[in-house]
This record gives sequence, structure tokens and C-alpha cells, in this order.
Amino acid sequence: MEKSVVFAGFGGQGILLAGKVLARAGMNEGFEVTWLPSYGPEMRGGTANCTVIVADRPIGSPVVDSPDALVAMNFPSLDKFEPRVVEGGTIVVNSSLVKRKVRRSDVTAIPVPTNEIAAELGNPRVVNMVALGALVRALGIVPLEAIETAMAEELRGRSRGKLVAVNREALRRGFGEAGKYLRDR
Amino acid sequence: MADKPIAHQPPRVADKRILTGVHFMNGDEAIAEGAIAAGCTFFAAYPITPQSEIAERMARRLPQVGGVFIQMEDELGAMAAVIGAAWGGVKAMTATSGPGFSLMMENIGLAIMTETPCVVVDVQRGAPSTGLPTLVGQGDMMQARWGSHGHYEIVALSPASPQEAFDLTVKAFALAERFRAPVLIMTDEVVGHMYERVEIPGEVPMAPRRKPEAPPGEFPPYQPEEDLVPPMACAGDGYRIHVTGLTHDERGYPAMDPEAHDKLVRRLCEKITRFRDEFTWWEESMTEDAEVLVVSYGISARVALGGVELARERGIKAGLFRLITIWPFPDEILRRLAERVGGIVVVEINLGQIYREVERASGGRIPMRGVFHAGGRIHTPEEVLAGIEEVLRCRS
Repeated sequence: MEKSVVFAGFGGQGILLAGKVLARAGMNEGFEVTWLPSYGPEMRGGTANCTVIVADRPIGSPVVDSPDALVAMNFPSLDKFEPRVVEGGTIVVNSSLVKRKVRRSDVTAIPVPTNEIAAELGNPRVVNMVALGALVRALGIVPLEAIETAMAEELRGRSRGKLVAVNREALRRGFGEAGKYLRDR
Repeated sequence: MADKPIAHQPPRVADKRILTGVHFMNGDEAIAEGAIAAGCTFFAAYPITPQSEIAERMARRLPQVGGVFIQMEDELGAMAAVIGAAWGGVKAMTATSGPGFSLMMENIGLAIMTETPCVVVDVQRGAPSTGLPTLVGQGDMMQARWGSHGHYEIVALSPASPQEAFDLTVKAFALAERFRAPVLIMTDEVVGHMYERVEIPGEVPMAPRRKPEAPPGEFPPYQPEEDLVPPMACAGDGYRIHVTGLTHDERGYPAMDPEAHDKLVRRLCEKITRFRDEFTWWEESMTEDAEVLVVSYGISARVALGGVELARERGIKAGLFRLITIWPFPDEILRRLAERVGGIVVVEINLGQIYREVERASGGRIPMRGVFHAGGRIHTPEEVLAGIEEVLRCRS
């Protein structure tokens, strides 16, 4: 088993953190994991993405041509990465910002209004965890509880412990949202 | 109360030196932790992407173990400060990327000439110049070998994962003390920025510094022992020593004659080359029956292994030779392997630096192909496979 995910969006949307939480959770669950960021020289803004691989054997390249899943947090990210997702893969798309549908018919599209959900939770910055929650349900290799634990570990390291509760709620809302588009899980 | 302490409480060094356990860590952080575990208590550097995470980690961690972090005015100063700290008796390290590595070259020469143990890390990015600051490169491999002035030998190690970055940094400190010489960690942006599982062991050995046994007055500071390495008296040890970049005799005094120079430079080289078997490390995968040998290092070697596996799936007998020790180059091992195979493919993120070394070591007798990229991304396994197939075609 080897599953790869590309998280992509604007700098500031929490793309890199979302990927890190997934990778850390995978590691805690006993999988081999890699997390590799890609960003430009800008201090803020610009585009950012990261690739996460979770596998049950040692991982060679931390980069993949065709990821099993994509989290597209903005329009350019969907345009850029949609064609690369494997057949039968998953695309979680931030429908708050991306005003077009996923064109591929051979993938599972999960549109999630992350901005609206985050606003309802009272913290616009948790959009990344909403998207991650949806992805985790579609991916089905790491349980939501493991993601919540890994999220708390990531935030604790940055002395943002007080943000754990709202981020947990964001993960759960995203997880619930994905249920609308997935029959089995 | 009169005995109220003025100075801050010294940290409980033993608790914090080795962060035993499993961590989710990138290569940069692993290098910092490897250094601290190995006993490094001095780090001077200037921030540069993709090295900054090393500096960040050292700035936070060194005070916890009673160490010193200094952000210097530039990389010339950083390397100079590291030399000074080593002569002050501590284990010292600096870290940079390509452009800063160039600025350190003059003082790396000074460290070689003054036989100063220290560790220098280069997290390589797309170059020349500012190039691609946030993206990967492996273009400093020859700079590591010949970037400083004069003729010298240098030890350079190249990790392929954060775990190995930790392990090799520990070993680099041991080699620096063993040979009284600067040791280079030649890593890259991907290994530096990639997070993986890193397991830090319960015990990490601290290599001792070889101190003089002769009393002050009877100690020639550059009189080598049998293994060509002289013991090192540091500031505060009670010895009067003269540390100079000028060619010097055993007493450390300038000796301006060609014979003294030839003798000194030969010893500085030979103290490393004669004992190279102690630290020539590599890893072979599927080489036993290989017809095509793929040679690579650092992050490129992981991709290359993917290419070798693709080739095996297609019935091509390919194998991987991953260099861990880059310098001195393992000529003899590659020469022997080259005698058994029909072609060699070299994979690296430059346009053929280690390729030339492999060609030289293998005597140019068998077909070779380079799978090169100037920087900005790592290869794909498919590109490596294409190189393997190409070298097979020119063989038949």
C-alpha cells in the first residue's frame, strides 16, 4: 500500500500544516511517511503545495507524478493538479473559492465550502482542517482520531494549544461533509 | 540574602542533549539534533534557505544544553567563528547553502591548514548564484572537493533521509575529531525540508578530543602521532600555541621553505587518505547480478532506486550503488564493481560532477549515461529507467 496526496493552495491557507498533520498521523499509526513542501521565495502569499506519502514499505521518491488524492484550496491548484490525479482517485476542492466543478468523471469529487464552515466555527483560519477532515474520510487509511491527535501534537509544538478545540471541530465538520459524497464510509 | 544567585541556572545538560525517541522531523532539524547529541555546543551561521531550519533549531536548542548560538554578519564570519570556537575547546558547526558555502571556502582552507576539527553543512539548492533558493540542487559536489585553495583532502558525507542526516552528523563530529579536520555534510533541499520518522537512540557517543600528554614547554603542537594526526592543545589548556595559516613546522612556527610545505601538505592529505577505509560508507541494492549499475547519492539515490525497481520489473538486471561517503571518492570499490557490469548510469541534480569521478574510477571502459538535471526538482524513476535502457542499447 502506498497512498500519495497533494495539498495545494495559496500561501497562508495552511496547506503545509494540513499535510504535516496527515503525515504525522500516518507515522503514529506505524506507516512509513514522507512530507515534502514546495513553495517559492515569497515571504507571504504565492502558491504552495506539499506532497504526503503514506505507505507500508520504505518510500523512495517523496514526489509523485500522479497522486491518489488532491486537496485543491484555490482555483489555480485545481487547474494545475486535476489532470494528474490517478484514475479512481479523490479530489477535495474548496468550493468557497473554486467556482467550477471538477471536470474529471473518473475521480471522486468532494466539494467542501471550507471558508463558510470555518466562518461558522468562528475562526477563518481553520479552512485547512475542514479540508483535511474531508480528505481523511475519503482516503480511509488513517482514522479521524489519529488525525486529531496528530493535529494537537503539531499545534502544541507551536504553543497554540488553545486552538486545538476549534481545529478538532473543523476536522469533524469536514469529515461529516465528505460523507455526502461517499457511499461506503 | 547574600547568596542569591546572579547568574542563570545552568541547564541540566544530560536531560536535553539527546532527545531519545521517535520524532517527526525534517533533515535540517535532524542535523541540528545530531550535532547536539554528538556534543556540539557552538553554532555560528548566517541564515539562508534551505538551511535556515538548522539555524532556527540550534538557536532554540543550544541554550538548553549550555551551548552558544551566534548569528554572524555573513558566512565568512560564521566559518571564522567556528574555527575560533574549536580552538577554544568545544565542538563547533556551521551550516549554509551554495552561495554561503562559497564564502566559507577561504576559511575552510584555514581550518584544513590549522587542523581544526569542525563540521560544515551545505544544504544544496538550485545554483549558481541566488538561483532557485527554495528548490533542490546537488551542484556543490565539486565545490566541496576543490572549492578552497591549494591541494587538500576533505571528508564529505551525503545523507538520503532525515534519519541518515542525524546519523551522519554524529559520525561527522567523530571524524572531525579523529582527523582534526573539517568534515562536510553535503545534503540537499529535499532531504533538508522533508519530514520523516527519525529515531534518536538512547546513547550517542561523544568523540573525545585528542589532548597532548607532554607537559607545556615540551609539546610541539604540530608533531603528529603515528596516525599522522597531532594532539590538540586548546586555549586554556595551559599550553602556548601559535595557530597560523602560514606553512609551519612541528612547533607551529612559520617555515617558509618548499620542503616544509611539501611535507606538511602531504601529511594533511595522507592523514585522511591512509585511513579512508574507516569511513568509506556506501549502500548496494540488487548489485549481485546487475548488468547495469546505477550510481547516485542523497535524495537522487532514492529516486534512482525506484528506477532500478522499474527496470527489474521489465526483466533488466539493474542495481544501485548509493554513495554515502562522497569524498574521498571510493575509487577502488567502484572500479571493482565496474568490472562486473556492462554499463553505468549516474543520477544527480547537476550536469555531471560525480559522473566524472565515476568515469575516472571505472577507467572509461564501459558505456556510461548521465541522468542529469540542473536543479529545481528531483528526477522521476521513469527518467532513471530511460537512462538504464539507453545504456543497455549502446552496449548491444
